Amino acid sequence: MSVTVQNLTYRYRNFSLHVEHLQFESAKMTSIVGPNGAGKTTFLKCISAILPAAKGSLFIEGRDIGAMRENERARLLAYVPQEHATAFNYTVLDFVLMGRAAYLPIFSSPSPGDVTIAQEALEFVSLGHFASRPYFQLSSGERRLVLIARALAQKSNILILDEPTSFLDPKHETEILALAKKLAEEKKKTIIVTLHNLDMAVKYSDAMVFMKEGQVVAFGKPDDILNEALLENVYEIKMSIIRYDGRTFIVK
Amino acid sequence: MNKQRPRALSLFVYLLPLFIFLLSLCVGTVHIPIKDLLKTLISPIFPSLKQGLPANSLNIIFNVRIPRLLLGLAVGASLSVSGASLQALFKNPLVNEYILGISSGAAFGAALSMVFFGGNIPPQISAFVFAIIAVLIVLLIARKSDSPIIALLLTGVIVSAFFSALLSLVEFLASPYELQALFNWLMGNLWKAGWTDLAISLPLIGVGILVLVLMRWRLNVLSMSDEEARSLGINIRKEKLLVIFLTALITAAATAVAGIIGWIGLIIPHLVRMMVGVDNRKVVPMSAALGAGFLMVADNITRSFASFEVPVGIFTSLIGIPFFIVLLRKSKKAWL
Repeated sequence: MSVTVQNLTYRYRNFSLHVEHLQFESAKMTSIVGPNGAGKTTFLKCISAILPAAKGSLFIEGRDIGAMRENERARLLAYVPQEHATAFNYTVLDFVLMGRAAYLPIFSSPSPGDVTIAQEALEFVSLGHFASRPYFQLSSGERRLVLIARALAQKSNILILDEPTSFLDPKHETEILALAKKLAEEKKKTIIVTLHNLDMAVKYSDAMVFMKEGQVVAFGKPDDILNEALLENVYEIKMSIIRYDGRTFIVK
Repeated sequence: MNKQRPRALSLFVYLLPLFIFLLSLCVGTVHIPIKDLLKTLISPIFPSLKQGLPANSLNIIFNVRIPRLLLGLAVGASLSVSGASLQALFKNPLVNEYILGISSGAAFGAALSMVFFGGNIPPQISAFVFAIIAVLIVLLIARKSDSPIIALLLTGVIVSAFFSALLSLVEFLASPYELQALFNWLMGNLWKAGWTDLAISLPLIGVGILVLVLMRWRLNVLSMSDEEARSLGINIRKEKLLVIFLTALITAAATAVAGIIGWIGLIIPHLVRMMVGVDNRKVVPMSAALGAGFLMVADNITRSFASFEVPVGIFTSLIGIPFFIVLLRKSKKAWL
């Protein structure tokens, strides 16, 4: 499913986000990059309807996200938050099960079928054996994977990940991005992700969005849009692009 | 992991209130042996058994002990369930109905009805109205803050203090006779238990607890941050208000009859979490059972260890506070 942004505006205190037109393609991985404070997270939260965007500015396959009910939207679109704090030490499986909330009426508890879906989601991120572990015992890399598993249990076609690799070591970073890519290619999910590591963004993304001061500066396939002038404009420092052996490296 | 042990444990917790209820029927100033108790209990069905029973035992069992134990059961369960639910809803294991101003609002409302309306408006209803007003004021003030938890606790303290002041005003205006009754009631005890009060409080508490038990898994999702719960597909405004409405209802129905009985809403859910973990699918119903059993036992102790009755609210606070401090230090918050 594709996500279309049409004349989206969101203001908060003295920050304002404005996106004229943008389309996130179906079964592709699109990464949003830009300096801190460029509005990447705000943009993701608007798409996920966590922040209230005006009706008529965001669409999933032509249907207005702002006009959908919460559970209806959550079946189409899952959001994986950047940071996560919880006061209660749920087991990993209980945590992933919460991804089923959009399918369950208010007075119901998950069925064995829901538990199977949660367990499969955990296995997809290779944490099947962690089901009965307390969440607080996990490392930050493992917690990210559990959050992704919870989003997968939501069985939505669109997956939005807010900086899923921040504070992670290179191994976990690679694992999570490879997983996101796999979800786009094999499960035909639309992946929208914010990233800080430009090398990785170029390597894994089908499309990239460059943002600065609440505006989209460039949008397209990495090879088509990436150049040193763009990087200097967006990040306000000089960077060199080195292409070697079919790969692209960005050197600060 | 051994699955038998938790299952046996939860069975034990669920059966506990039943055993305590039956055993407690024997306890009191007049001791009734188990044999006589059983005869008395089935005597409405077999009237011939009434002969040979000690005089009064019928009256003691049906009009004194059963209503009182039912009240203990209902109040213990409602305070524990509202504690567990509010802790999940506010994502904070230290929150309870006192901290959020619900109890003070309910106490003021009930006192207002007793002193000024002479019971024309049932104290349960008046207690509920002011409990809701108190918690909504707390939510409205705390809403816009950058650190919601601290704001919530602070405004809870302020709103509680405000309703306590209003309660003092009602006490000041009450006649000496009314004041005596208010004073006894406020300290938290179950002596007022009678079928007339129970007829209003029990159905309200029963329905409130039932709906919260049905929502037990939803409370897991609501214990995530508001942003997460919303992205998981929950209409948090609607569901939050429903939980607040229900907890205010059962707390008010309990407070209107039994006064302020403190610390149960904090201790019991924590005990349950230490036993079975934090999943509200277990925490909410087991808190109901354990809270019911706990308050019946506490009431047995306070009404039989001295020649006079000590209000059970004093007892639960005296036991509860040190108990809680020991728990916090010992377990280093591991079960939170």
